[in-house]
Amino acid sequence: MATISTGDFKKGIFVTFKNEPHQIMEFQHVNPGKGSAFVRTRLKSLKTGKVQEFTYKSGESIEELPVETHEMQYLYPEGEGYVFMDNRTYDQVTVPKLLIGDFVRFMKENDTYQILTHEEEAVGVRLPKKVRLLVTEANEGGARGNTVGGALKVVTLETGAEVNVPLFIKQGEMIAIDPETGTYVERA
Amino acid sequence: MFFHNKKFHEIETPILIGYPPAESYLDVFQTTLLDRRHKKTSAYLSTSPELALKKLLVAGIGNCYSITKSFRNGETDSKTHTPEFTILEWYRVNKTYVDLMDDCEQLIRFIAASLKKGSTLTYQGTSFDLSAPWIRISVIEAFSTYAQVDLNTFFDMDTARKIATKKGYTVTASNTWEELYNQIFLNEVEPHLGVTKPTIMYDFPSAMGALCRKKISDPRLVERFEFYIGGLEVGDCYGELTDWKEQKARFDQELVEIQRIGKTLYEYDHDFIEALKEGMPEASGIAVGLDRLIMLFTNTKTIQETQLFPYEDLFDK
Repeated sequence: MATISTGDFKKGIFVTFKNEPHQIMEFQHVNPGKGSAFVRTRLKSLKTGKVQEFTYKSGESIEELPVETHEMQYLYPEGEGYVFMDNRTYDQVTVPKLLIGDFVRFMKENDTYQILTHEEEAVGVRLPKKVRLLVTEANEGGARGNTVGGALKVVTLETGAEVNVPLFIKQGEMIAIDPETGTYVERA
Repeated sequence: MFFHNKKFHEIETPILIGYPPAESYLDVFQTTLLDRRHKKTSAYLSTSPELALKKLLVAGIGNCYSITKSFRNGETDSKTHTPEFTILEWYRVNKTYVDLMDDCEQLIRFIAASLKKGSTLTYQGTSFDLSAPWIRISVIEAFSTYAQVDLNTFFDMDTARKIATKKGYTVTASNTWEELYNQIFLNEVEPHLGVTKPTIMYDFPSAMGALCRKKISDPRLVERFEFYIGGLEVGDCYGELTDWKEQKARFDQELVEIQRIGKTLYEYDHDFIEALKEGMPEASGIAVGLDRLIMLFTNTKTIQETQLFPYEDLFDK
């Protein structure tokens, strides 16, 4: 357990909130009209997945939960979770669906991901900066027209996820996606 | 147009100034003025048009307004703040802050009508009825209704600490009363303001009104209101302090605080104090965040989206 202050907040870190482990999803600074500074924070419960907002006083002390990273291979979904296998120890762990959230859209079986644990329990996955996936369906029905750049069409990726990409992306191409926003970054 | 119709004087106020008002909760942008011989003088970017407009009130300009850029250093990492922002500030002479509540309602309805939006504003999925009357609630009522806190007892610091601790907030010896008050306000009261109808919250505790006139009927409170639409605080209004002695005392206090917390120190505007000595007419003034009004009327989620060049894009990370 490490004590941090609001000045140390980073998106994605794990903290204790109301005596339960939470993950900081988002935070921003607020100055109520003519007053000191506060940090409005969105926290996700690792137990329930529920997201709530709390405003801390700027400089307030919070308990950070240190996490360990494990390189783990995604095997398959099972019940309310996803099964991962530690590449070194071959231990298997089931990570609850609510801790993976939307990232599952971009997960490929047998690919390796960084699973985060706190005191032996899985708390989430560290989102890679980019994921490289194959475009399996890119219907050419998207309107061309004289738009100045920016025109997008929907394609399907090998994981089943649908994303918006520029019109020039074809079926069979590899593209890079930012998993945090689910948006196209570049050709891979 | 709105102010022109009401015969207010439009004023252009300086952005580059020599002496800001002393306000410890703000951080100033400091720069250096060079003369022809390269002699250096400290200069600052104004945090609001307030002092300039008040000097004009002393000079007898009457009702006036200014739309300008104001600069508040450190106001980063926020969807509703930006260090350089657009402010609309107006003053009415010999009128009270209650009169300005009417101005606010009329201004917003005028904007809605000019944009042909009728009396309903839809912001981020919620519809707001802009028609009169708006919800008007006092700070004491708001705390009682939404936070179950009797502000009358909360005024006592020890009681405030107990109440905050009981509610589960972290309370340390160094926390000020204003921090405890605001943490409860931000977490438990503010989320309820302006969520269905524009809301005016009035009569703030005097700790929250350094430049405000105290209420004659209850000096624990000051003549101040803020108005909220769609969960956004859009405007902040004061019954203005005209007593130069009290103003100077507050400025001196603010400088002590600025030094204590280590913010950029400056000399405050003594010229303004001299103007107050001449006699400022009784007046009420209000400042409105114009970028936030734009957010509301264009249904944008962040202040950055209202700007072609948000400050984040102007600096390397």
